[in-house]
Amino acid sequence: MPNPMIPRERSEYSAIVDRPPLKLPGNARIVFWTIVNYEVWDIGKPMARQLLPAPTGVPLLPDVVHWGFHEYGMRVGCWRFFELFKKLGIKPTLSANARICEDYERVAAQARDDGWEFMGHAYEQGPIHKETDQAGMINRSMDIMEKFTGKRPVGWLGPGLTQTLETPDLLAAAGVKYIGDWVYDDEPTVIKTTKGPLVTLPYTIECNDIPVMIVQHHNSDYLFQLVKDQFDRLYQESASRAKICALAIHPYISGQPHRIKYLEAIYDYVNRHEGVLHWNGEQIYDWYKGTAAKQLKAAE
Amino acid sequence: MNFPKPPVGMLPGDRIAYSPIVNRKPLKLPNRARMVVWTITNVEEWDPTQTMPRTVLTPPAGGSPMPDIPNWCWHEYGNRVGFWRLLQVYDDFKIPGVMNINGAAVGAFPELVQACVERNWEFVGHGFTQRNMQKVENERDDIRKSAQVLEKLTGKRPRGWLGPGLTETWETPDILAEEGYDYVADWVLDDQPVWLKTRGKPIVNIPYTQECNDVAMMLIQHHKAKEFYDRAMDQFEQVHKDAKDSARVMAISVHPYIMGAPHRAKYFRKIFEKIAKKKDVLFWNGSQILDWYLKTGPKAPH
Repeated sequence: MPNPMIPRERSEYSAIVDRPPLKLPGNARIVFWTIVNYEVWDIGKPMARQLLPAPTGVPLLPDVVHWGFHEYGMRVGCWRFFELFKKLGIKPTLSANARICEDYERVAAQARDDGWEFMGHAYEQGPIHKETDQAGMINRSMDIMEKFTGKRPVGWLGPGLTQTLETPDLLAAAGVKYIGDWVYDDEPTVIKTTKGPLVTLPYTIECNDIPVMIVQHHNSDYLFQLVKDQFDRLYQESASRAKICALAIHPYISGQPHRIKYLEAIYDYVNRHEGVLHWNGEQIYDWYKGTAAKQLKAAE
Repeated sequence: MNFPKPPVGMLPGDRIAYSPIVNRKPLKLPNRARMVVWTITNVEEWDPTQTMPRTVLTPPAGGSPMPDIPNWCWHEYGNRVGFWRLLQVYDDFKIPGVMNINGAAVGAFPELVQACVERNWEFVGHGFTQRNMQKVENERDDIRKSAQVLEKLTGKRPRGWLGPGLTETWETPDILAEEGYDYVADWVLDDQPVWLKTRGKPIVNIPYTQECNDVAMMLIQHHKAKEFYDRAMDQFEQVHKDAKDSARVMAISVHPYIMGAPHRAKYFRKIFEKIAKKKDVLFWNGSQILDWYLKTGPKAPH
C-alpha cells in the first residue's frame, strides 16, 4: 500500500481572505454549533483526564477517582445538559463513543429521543493510534450507532481529535461525510481522500472545556468570557461572510454544579443577537454541500 | 569568577561586559520621542510528520501520538485565518511589520508572505527550520541559506536574526557577523540595544522579549487572553516612565495561531489603540532601531 497522504497533500494552503464569502440562508450570519461529548472510560485502562494528582505522583490502576469524576457526568451532569437544551430548543451534535449505546443506554436513548445528532466518536475513549484494527473499529462504531438510532452517522470526531495519516481514507470508506478533527479554519473545507472528498467542519479545541478547565486551569467563569470574546469577534466578521462558532462541552466538566451557570450564560448571551442559527453538524454539512459543489468535485 | 572557556566561540561575559543602564550616556530618539515599540510576528510551518513544537490539546490518557493532526491544524489555522486579523491591526495603526520566518517556510504560505512583501515588512532570519540551533547539522550553512531564501523572495538581504526559540551555540554571533547580519535579538538582557563582540566585527543586539510573548503567556503560563493586554500595558507604562532621560525599546512578540484566534484578537488590538495615542512613542522595525543606534549610540567596541 502506498504511504497515506500528509495533511498538505489532502488540502493546499488557502488564505481565508482570498476565498469568495460563504452565505447563510435568509438573514442568518452565524451558526452556533454545540457539540456535547459523551464518553466511556474503561476502568481497566488509564483514565482519559486527571484532575487530582495521585498521592505519590505515580498513577496507579485502577484509577477509581477519575473513573468516578467522569461517571458523575453520566449520572448527574448530563441531565443538566438535557434540561438546558430542551429549554432552549437546541438539538446539539452528540459526539459519542459508540459504547455509550451499550453502557449508558438510558443516556443514549435520551439524546436520541430528544432529536440530537449522533456523530461517530470511536468505540471508547483513547487515542486512535492505539487501535490495532482502526478500520474495523470505525465500522463497528458506525454500525452500533446506526442500529441504535436507525440512521448512520454523517459526522465523525476522533477521540481527543486523534487521527493517523490514513484515518480520513478509512472514514470516507465507512460512509462518513464530515469530520471535526481538522480545526484549521473558520469555514468548512473539502479535503482529499482515496475514497473521494471529505468535508471538514470548524470544530474547536479552544472553545472547549477540556483545554480551558482541565489543561489550562482557568476559573469556572472563564469559559463564558472566552466564548463571549470568540463569538463577538466572529459575529463582527459575519457581517461580510458566514461564520461558525463551535462550542465543545463535556458533562463531567461543564455539567458540574459550579460551572453549569456559566454555560447557561453563554446561551443567554448568544441568543440576544440577531441572525444566529443553532445548527448541528449535519445541518452545517448539508448547507455547505449545497454551496460548495465545485470544491467537492475538485476533490473527487 | 572565571568560567571554563568553550573550545570555539565565546562566553557571554567575553562578548559583553556588565553595564548598569543608569551609568550609560543617554540615548536620544528623534522628535523628543522617549521610546520605540517594535512588534514581531512569528510565522512557522510545522512538519506534520514530527512531534508538534507546542500543543493546546493533550491526547486522552496523555503521551504524544504521531501524527498529531489536531495540534497541526491548530497551528495551520493561524496562517489560514488568524494572521489576517493581526495584519488588519498593523494596517489600521500603521505599525511596520517584522516577520520571523523559517527559511523553509517561505514557500508554504505564498499569499501570506506576498501580503507582507507588498507592505514592505522587514524579514528577519529565523533559522532554516524551527530547530534548536545546537541541533542544526551545519550552523553556518543554515544561517547562510536562511539569508539567501529571504533575499530571493524579498529582494533584500535580512539584516536581523532571531534564533528558533532564541537558541544559540557559543559561536552563533561570530557566524552571524561573518555572514553579513547586522543585528541579533537573542540576547534578552537589556532595555537598550547593545554591542556584542565577535571574533570579527561586533554585532548589535536589539531588545526582544520572552515575557510579552504569547507563547509564554498563553501556552506555558495559561493566562486569560486579557492578561496579554494587561501585561503589555504594564510593561509599556514602566518602560515609558524609565525612558525619561534615555531612550528605551519595548518588544511585543506574537504568533498568528495564538493572538490571531477570535477570542484573543481584540486584546492584541487594544494594545495599539492605547499606545498609538502617545505622541512620544515610535513604532519602528528592527532595522530602524539598528540604524538609529548606529548613528547615535556608542561606537562599536574593538
